Amino acid sequence: MKVSTPRMGNLPFIVEDLAHRFDIDYIEPPVFSEETVRIGASLAPEFACLPLKAVVGTFVQALEAGADTLLMGGGSGPCRFGYYAELQRRILEKEGYRFNLIVLDPPSTSLKAAYSGLRGIVGPDVARLGTLVRELKRALAKVVVFDEIEKWVLALKGREAEEGSVARAAEEARQVTSAAFTGKEIRRARREAQLLFEEVPLDDNRQHMRFGLVGEIFVVLEPYFNFDIGNWLGKRGVVVERCVHIADTVYPGGRNPIFGYSDRQVARAASPYLTHEVGGDGLLSVGATAIFASRGFDAVIHFLPFTCMPEVIAKSVLFRVSEEMGIPVLSLTIDEQTGRAGIETRMEALLDLARSRRRRACREVAGLSVAT
Amino acid sequence: MRVGIPRALLFHHYGDCWLSFLEALGVEAVLSGPTSSDIVNAGVIHADNETCLPVKVFSGHLLELKDNADVILVPRVISQGYGTCSCPKFLGLPDMARALAPDLPPVLSPAMDLGDRRFLWLRDWYKVGRALGCGRLATAVAVRGLVESLKAHDVETGCESENDGALSVGVAGHFYNVNDPHVSLRMLERLQGMGARALTIEQSSEREARRQAASLPRKVYWGFERRLAGAVLHWSRTASVSGIIFLTSFACGPGSFIGALLEDELSREGSVPFMTITLDEHSAEAGLVTRLEAFTDMLRRVPARKPASAALERGAVL
Repeated sequence: MKVSTPRMGNLPFIVEDLAHRFDIDYIEPPVFSEETVRIGASLAPEFACLPLKAVVGTFVQALEAGADTLLMGGGSGPCRFGYYAELQRRILEKEGYRFNLIVLDPPSTSLKAAYSGLRGIVGPDVARLGTLVRELKRALAKVVVFDEIEKWVLALKGREAEEGSVARAAEEARQVTSAAFTGKEIRRARREAQLLFEEVPLDDNRQHMRFGLVGEIFVVLEPYFNFDIGNWLGKRGVVVERCVHIADTVYPGGRNPIFGYSDRQVARAASPYLTHEVGGDGLLSVGATAIFASRGFDAVIHFLPFTCMPEVIAKSVLFRVSEEMGIPVLSLTIDEQTGRAGIETRMEALLDLARSRRRRACREVAGLSVAT
Repeated sequence: MRVGIPRALLFHHYGDCWLSFLEALGVEAVLSGPTSSDIVNAGVIHADNETCLPVKVFSGHLLELKDNADVILVPRVISQGYGTCSCPKFLGLPDMARALAPDLPPVLSPAMDLGDRRFLWLRDWYKVGRALGCGRLATAVAVRGLVESLKAHDVETGCESENDGALSVGVAGHFYNVNDPHVSLRMLERLQGMGARALTIEQSSEREARRQAASLPRKVYWGFERRLAGAVLHWSRTASVSGIIFLTSFACGPGSFIGALLEDELSREGSVPFMTITLDEHSAEAGLVTRLEAFTDMLRRVPARKPASAALERGAVL
């Protein structure tokens, strides 16, 4: 059994860790390329959202590379993600591929389905229930560390004194974390990673902007589709804070340890604008934007795939958040034809806007009239 | 106090229930006019450019009510049946409505969670009644009436008509697209004009639809789409129609998935011809007429299939 999964941000590290724990033969899915997107867009329905197309492309490439078992997440709506697996199975079967697709439903959908999905890969002879739970807990602790590393990168990249030092620290920290497996090792790896980042020389004289990054998890997390926006902004002296993380999504209880605001806090922040869960990350996008605005961020960037239902609602509501809370919000729709130049031009415009807003605010504080 | 209701989206499902609720409260209800080009254009201009056509049409209706209503009623339909959920657009509809224009009248958004067996959502409707200035008893009676009318609404309305040899075409699409002559470009009438009998989802048996939808390997979780998928499978498996037209709108999320699912399922079963028509605000009559003519002509050439042979073929394919 050769297992492959979709690709998204930190996911390959996490799956590699799980494969090691449960002794699964894992083929790393190929990195995204124009070819992946082309295959996906040609097979998937026209109006399906970008993540579906991208994952279909990845699956085709993984199957060609020799995988025979595919792992996909499930769900029970209202976002279309819960139906991805079924549609992908049909598309790939129609193309003549032979494979086994295992759907991992979240326990909130059905505990039974979640357990049987897990057993489909892990097999009862490999791990007893106790071992399974213990290993999953450790894996979760590791996911948290991986996401923390990413958070630190986004926070420090805009302030580093020497270009590339943050990237080096992140690389090393990821290696240290990847090698950790038991609870103790993971805790030590986290400390080491933290030390690595503390040693990065910072340029305190450089003035930096603070941007919030919100939106649909796939396009926000996958650097291929957001044109590595965290890095791009970091180079221009922007400290970025992101609201979606894999760890927050899978962490039980809605505590969101990485983002730092629980689901309830997010819902409360969003409540003047959006008062109901709309599936996907819609409510989180609105709530996080309101939180970022009240914390005095300079701007918020909202990424969404074309036709994404929850984010389209968030987008039409964010307009009001922006107006009432006085924060620039740039919604960027990503599809398979989005080009780097278009995104970067708009991003530069947003940077200019944020800078001029800050200059004006400084002048007002200094007691000068805006006109002078 | 005049309560405005946009004649769009789920008004086509639950409009009579909402109207009778307002009537029981003794409040004047104002409906927006039937969809017109002006309404669609206003919606297209003001609504977010990435929403689906029905939401744009809804926005147009909402803007029309701006001056002739004191409050606007936009119920938040959370689910349309037990174990299902609504499209995210319905979940966020009242909030989208509030963000649409700055000078809109206040929006009342009672929840409607038909899948909730404890009926906790009725509290919202009670509050609406009280907010509209009605007494406790009158409001309670009106809420009670709402439940009764929804129950009567759920009773099997479907009537299976006998296949009398005439060409029959199943039109599968949302009520708010199919039943709005302006949006669907009078599609049902046109089909009838071409000598074909058009069957809609409303005319299919709900119980059969439920049974057929349960045969899908993964449960369709959107309430209306489950009904739609079940009805289409029922038509195709009993060969009660000669062909099926799937009517969806541009950027419809569930539609994009259910269309692909049905297309795949029907082609695996070697069933009746299936055509997808996507509507948007630029859809023109000529394009639609040509496609409908081509489709009905094709159906006339293909000899009528009998249910038994359909089953046989299905067995052979599977």
